[in-house]
Amino acid sequence: MVMNSFYDCPQLIGFILLLMLMSCNEPDKIYQYEVDNVDVTQPGIDKDNIKSELEFISLAYSDLFGTTLTNDQLLSLVVAYNSLGDKGLIADIIVRNFLNNPGADVPSVQEMEADIPGFIKDTYQRFYVREPSEYELWYLQDLIVNDEDMTPEILYYAFLTSDEYRFF
Amino acid sequence: MKRRSFLKKSSLLAASTFAAPYLLPTGRLFARTASRRVNHVVFCLYAGGVRNMESVHQNEGNLMPALFAGAKSSNPGLDSMPASPFMQPLEKMGTLFKEFRYKEGPTGHFNGHTVAVTGRYTDTGLNLKQNPEYPTIFEYYLKHNSPSQTAQNAWWISNSLGPYPALNYSRHPSYGPMFGANHITPTMLISPDVYPAIGKPKQFQFHEEEAVSKVRDFLNKNFDKQAGQVGLGINNEAADAKRIADFIQNLIDRGLSGEFLNPLGVPLTLANNDIFTTLFAEEVIKEFKPELLTVNMTDVDVCHQDFSEYCNNLQKADYAVAHLWDTIQQTPGMANDTVMIIVPEHGRNLQPNSIRDIYGRFAVDHTGDATSREIFCMVIGPDNLIQQDKVVGTPSNPVGESIDVVPTIATLLGFDADIPSGLLPGRFLHEAFV
Repeated sequence: MVMNSFYDCPQLIGFILLLMLMSCNEPDKIYQYEVDNVDVTQPGIDKDNIKSELEFISLAYSDLFGTTLTNDQLLSLVVAYNSLGDKGLIADIIVRNFLNNPGADVPSVQEMEADIPGFIKDTYQRFYVREPSEYELWYLQDLIVNDEDMTPEILYYAFLTSDEYRFF
Repeated sequence: MKRRSFLKKSSLLAASTFAAPYLLPTGRLFARTASRRVNHVVFCLYAGGVRNMESVHQNEGNLMPALFAGAKSSNPGLDSMPASPFMQPLEKMGTLFKEFRYKEGPTGHFNGHTVAVTGRYTDTGLNLKQNPEYPTIFEYYLKHNSPSQTAQNAWWISNSLGPYPALNYSRHPSYGPMFGANHITPTMLISPDVYPAIGKPKQFQFHEEEAVSKVRDFLNKNFDKQAGQVGLGINNEAADAKRIADFIQNLIDRGLSGEFLNPLGVPLTLANNDIFTTLFAEEVIKEFKPELLTVNMTDVDVCHQDFSEYCNNLQKADYAVAHLWDTIQQTPGMANDTVMIIVPEHGRNLQPNSIRDIYGRFAVDHTGDATSREIFCMVIGPDNLIQQDKVVGTPSNPVGESIDVVPTIATLLGFDADIPSGLLPGRFLHEAFV
């Protein structure tokens, strides 16, 4: 049978009205998924204060060497820092000088590869004083596994010369 | 058919490229057409407080024979310096403003330097720990010069630390560190004391540098602030920073090898900080051929306690300036295309203080009397641009002020018309130009 118009089918109209009536009485559903709440705040967002040159230099040293600078060491580092206008550049030179010092406490590649998640967590704690987010952990883990150039020294260098390391 | 389509697209792209206006960092669509008069300017602050009585008036004989004509001083206590590289004094190669004036504000060293690089007189409220209130010549250059240049073309080379590093950019809201010059205090950076701090940096291979960048980029993208935007000074692009790092390393290595033990041909026992600062300024010139370089000397300030050593350091700075000019003339790209402006930041008092040196001469301070505002200015350069062997100004008719140097540099490099009106009260020193 072919219907000439919508009004030719009173049963259909009644069915639609019934559906509308039912939908009006339907209470709002609350869907509950089996996923934990996740804090989506950007990591390190509460770090608003920039480290002074003294703080930056002495913290970088103690984070790498596990000990504090002597006054003479600190003085020569501050002089170097103040003698060049590009602070990112001089900080980079100072950090690379630290890394070239055999006394720097940098894990070996074998130690890193033995426990990559542990290494990443330790690195975040050492330099950023916080836990890595799940995404940070996954990304760096993936990078270490798939990029043979990734060594603890390179990762430490990147952390020490990153923006977040300049803040507290 | 494909070729025809390619040609059509290429033509459209080319047409749009030529038709599209260029947006300059200044916010202007096109650069103004002010033409350059020269491609390099070296601004030499013969600073530390130089009194006209000992410089242009030669009351102690000619203590500055490389700059001025006149019989060399025979004062006691003068070290024997090498002869100037030039047969004639520099004043013959340009225009001497014999009675220049530092008209207003305190005659303090940092005030004087600030006036020199900003073209604005300062008041007594100058904070030594802050960058200047008004833009520096470096910022005017890096913001308004067309085509835009990087900070590799703008250098501030300071003789000492203290407040001086802060003069490479201002805290003016329309300028600031993104238009700042590369600053270096070379005698502090390239020194045995600092060597343990920076002398042996870890060298990464190219592929390792790439790995570092990959990690650092990731870390920086996950953080909401940029260190370079919160008062950490200027920030060179990666390639420029690498070049500067290599340059510094090269200087350190050469210093260790003993290459700088006879700076500018001066025996080490006679070399002072001004000599070494000039040596490193010359290295910057040879490596970067900057369009704008400012260097200062301050050793004459020993005059607060030792007048004879002040005279001695005047002649050392004099030799250093001539050597600097000689290096410029030996540097391809800068020779015959550079103007050098030499000016003290302020003078010294007429009356001495009570401190006598070993020759019984009294020391002199600078506390703002009329004499401490009397200085000279020398502008030297190619004879097709600069009036040669010309002297301007008399004590009764002084010509030129400290605040005139910045507008003069801006005009020489051709960006004066782009500087917003009201920022620079000084004028172009037209008397020096052909």
